[in-house]
Amino acid sequence: MITRTLLFAAILTPAIVFGGSTPISKAPTDGNLRAGNDSVLRVNSTNQAYDFFRPWTKKSPFSRRGLGALIEGGYILVTAELVGNSNYVELEKATTAEKSGAIVERVDYECNLALLRPADQKFLEGMKPLAIDEGAQVGDRATVIQLESNGEIAETSGILTSITTAGYPMDNMGLLIFRLSAPLQQRDGSFTLPVMRGGRLLGLLMRYDARSQTADLIPPPVIRHFLKEAAKENYGGFARAGMAFTSTRDPQLRKFIGLDQPGGVYVTEILPGGAAETAGMKKGDVILAINGLPIDQDGNYEDKEFGRISFSHVTNTVSHPGDTIQFKIFREGATFDLPVHLTARDRSKMLSESYFMDRPPKYVILGGLVFLELSRPFLQEWGADWVKSAPQRLVAYDAFQYEKPRDRGKVVFLSQVLPSPETLGYESLENVIVSKVNGREIRSLADLAEAAKHPVDGFHEIEFEEDPGKIFLDAAGVEGSRDRLQKEYSLPALERL
Amino acid sequence: MFRLFLLLSFVFAAAPLQAAPVARSLVRIEATSQEPNYRTPWNPGEVSGGVGAGFVISGNRIMTNAHVVSNARFLTVSKEGDPKPYPARVLHIAHDCDLALLTVDDARFFQGMAALDFGGIPEIESSVSVYGYPIGGSKLSVTRGIVSRVDFQPYSHSGMDSHLTIQIDAAINPGNSGGPVMQDGKVVGVAFQGYSGDVAQNVGYMIPTPVVRRFLKDVEDGHYDRYVDLAVSYHSLFNPAARAALGLSDDGTGVMVGSVYGGGSADGIVLPGDVLLKIDGLPISSDGTIEMDGKSVQLAEVVERKFKGDRVSLDALRDGKPIKLSVPLDQPWPFTLHANAYNENPRFVVFGGLVFQPVDENFMSAFDPDDLRLRYMFDFFVDDKIYRDRPEIVVLSGILADPINTYAGDFRFGIVDEINGRKIQRLDDVATAFADPADYYVIQMLGIGRPIVLERQAVVEARDRILGRYGVTREQNLVK
Repeated sequence: MITRTLLFAAILTPAIVFGGSTPISKAPTDGNLRAGNDSVLRVNSTNQAYDFFRPWTKKSPFSRRGLGALIEGGYILVTAELVGNSNYVELEKATTAEKSGAIVERVDYECNLALLRPADQKFLEGMKPLAIDEGAQVGDRATVIQLESNGEIAETSGILTSITTAGYPMDNMGLLIFRLSAPLQQRDGSFTLPVMRGGRLLGLLMRYDARSQTADLIPPPVIRHFLKEAAKENYGGFARAGMAFTSTRDPQLRKFIGLDQPGGVYVTEILPGGAAETAGMKKGDVILAINGLPIDQDGNYEDKEFGRISFSHVTNTVSHPGDTIQFKIFREGATFDLPVHLTARDRSKMLSESYFMDRPPKYVILGGLVFLELSRPFLQEWGADWVKSAPQRLVAYDAFQYEKPRDRGKVVFLSQVLPSPETLGYESLENVIVSKVNGREIRSLADLAEAAKHPVDGFHEIEFEEDPGKIFLDAAGVEGSRDRLQKEYSLPALERL
Repeated sequence: MFRLFLLLSFVFAAAPLQAAPVARSLVRIEATSQEPNYRTPWNPGEVSGGVGAGFVISGNRIMTNAHVVSNARFLTVSKEGDPKPYPARVLHIAHDCDLALLTVDDARFFQGMAALDFGGIPEIESSVSVYGYPIGGSKLSVTRGIVSRVDFQPYSHSGMDSHLTIQIDAAINPGNSGGPVMQDGKVVGVAFQGYSGDVAQNVGYMIPTPVVRRFLKDVEDGHYDRYVDLAVSYHSLFNPAARAALGLSDDGTGVMVGSVYGGGSADGIVLPGDVLLKIDGLPISSDGTIEMDGKSVQLAEVVERKFKGDRVSLDALRDGKPIKLSVPLDQPWPFTLHANAYNENPRFVVFGGLVFQPVDENFMSAFDPDDLRLRYMFDFFVDDKIYRDRPEIVVLSGILADPINTYAGDFRFGIVDEINGRKIQRLDDVATAFADPADYYVIQMLGIGRPIVLERQAVVEARDRILGRYGVTREQNLVK
């Protein structure tokens, strides 16, 4: 179904796998590649994610290794995934194994890029920054840089087979990618690898499918957009038009809506609060052109540099938040221009955030009842099959969050019970959505913490959207048992807001 | 396909048993059944056969399990010592408690047969004997065991009903289904389900006589009405703070109502948050049990023994004040969406190669669709009162690919919301909408921004082509 593809394609992206069976390919160097040794650093990141079932604890730390590319300004460019939830990031010179701690200067999970800076800027002395490539075409050769264990550069040549827009790993945002066909070997422990063309940085490899020997690169336009935003005082990120569309290939649909000119895409969804909604775009509108570029029936335009690609490249990457784009709209037989003022998404306003990195999840423990705010990473704790195995009401809230009233706020739920004398009889409750506490509407954990300061007649009355309806706690008992609860379950704190 | 009814591992009965008297009442049932095919609903479905047991009761009737004779097209029964199969027919079938009554029109069949009488609930640890035609041979088999437990358990035939059951440790195996479980010459239960040996050892279940007697009483008027239900959920009241907040003393009584399901008996009478203290005068413990006939049972047991139109009285606390409620009992229809259905023909409409079907448990188990919205609507049909606007969830279940519907593939398992502006609340609305003359049929799915558009002229031209190519023998069936 169309809407599901939009919201859940992230689950379908193939796993990033390195195969061990591909033969080593020592492709001929393409000229200036020796420069790679002076421009590439090993990046070791120790990452640790929070446990969403026990949000007061972190899971076991794990290490990721990748290669970063030194770029102008003394920054090392890596994928955001490499340093996601990092505790400690370390740079290592390829040949001398000299090390330096690093600071994550800027990270954007939507475009999967991060900028690192060594703790000591002198560390980079003698190294040469890479220029970002321009003008790559389908059919061009490019070289993936890896390091042998002795620090020598290992090069694998590949061919740029397609330039298209596709969902990025973390948030499934549709951005430009370069697809490279190259037989890669597992060497550096991760998929974050610089890719070079003629001595310039063509992109960062971010995922590789060993079976099809296909690598997806973050291409120069996305890198440039990220760097331009990162240079600003306020990082603006990537803009979204805030709507979904579908093809108008179906001749019966074209005839029915009276669309007698070629091309155009049919708007199927307008995201609440997004740019398209603010501009007055409507479901059922047909987008014929943007900024004077005709859009075909599948949503592609003719890009001067890359050929036929989705117009989302113009809205998301070529443009920046704050820019205005002219949409040519066909609605009920009439054609008119509609200026859309692009905005980046305010993630904090999402009912259920699609990813949750580098910050601890909130929680409140009352008496032994553990309350959380819904987010997709919580649901993903159920494993690969979370869409079917996680609590279905919460999954539905996450999936259909854009259909809820805009002031719905966060979904606060009782995730589990740490049994205590106060919670006697409530032990089996889990994953039930809270509607009110002490008569007050709950639209965030902060609301719940505030409501818990105002017990009624000595009791906390907690009401749910579903069974068991409501439960009570003894307010004095909850207060009196705080220390004991904290000690018995080794809780560092009873709330984190 | 041939199968024996009931699934279990095999264990030998240890002691000799006096099988002779029961043999004069025992019946071997052979059923030929036809399972409807929800994936190609115009097809008649696969035919299979099976064997189960039954026993003669008063009035020349044979009692067995509903699952032995469900979807039956042809039934024969035979008795011990007479190899001749007699054609039989179903008098009454109760899928919610897995019981059925058959009869044989040939009066000779009952000659020499003895009707069995029913006993009560056997004591825990007392011995019982199980009779039937289980796997391992074709003749009558007897096993013996003791009564392990008396409890409320799900009845897997319907998949959504729970009633009183008796657990026994006698071997119950495929083919035992419908056979009598005897004690002191009386039937104390009907063997019906168990765990396979992989899950649990020596756990078999029988339908106890209160359930059997209720069934027999229900059909006295010539019609089976189904079980009635309060259709409320309730929760234990152990928590001292909850008891104090609700003004209850610390006497261990009362349960709190969590949900009152719309369309159910108690809808509009009982309210969420009510504390139920007594049911028909019997005090309710705070774990939801009552004392009945000297045994501790779920409070629902009071309702279990009643019939459509009967009333149940409740003593409750509402906002701290005692009130008396009287609930006329009925069947909660929205719940039946989640029950396995039998003896029903799949309903569907085919139009322009698009297949539309109403969603129920049979549909979901045939397709197991991944679509999140469909799964939400099905799972929360009762809880979120989806049935109010949409007594039936109608989906586009399949596309018989043809040039006229080649762009409809993305819409599979979409829920049909409107056709040409007409709200689709049940399958019949789909048939009506397509029967209305129009140049275009605009099918709007729930939560999908783009409609499916079919040109009438194109549908007319494609009709014979699609029906012929896919062997569709009927374009619609609107009757169960």
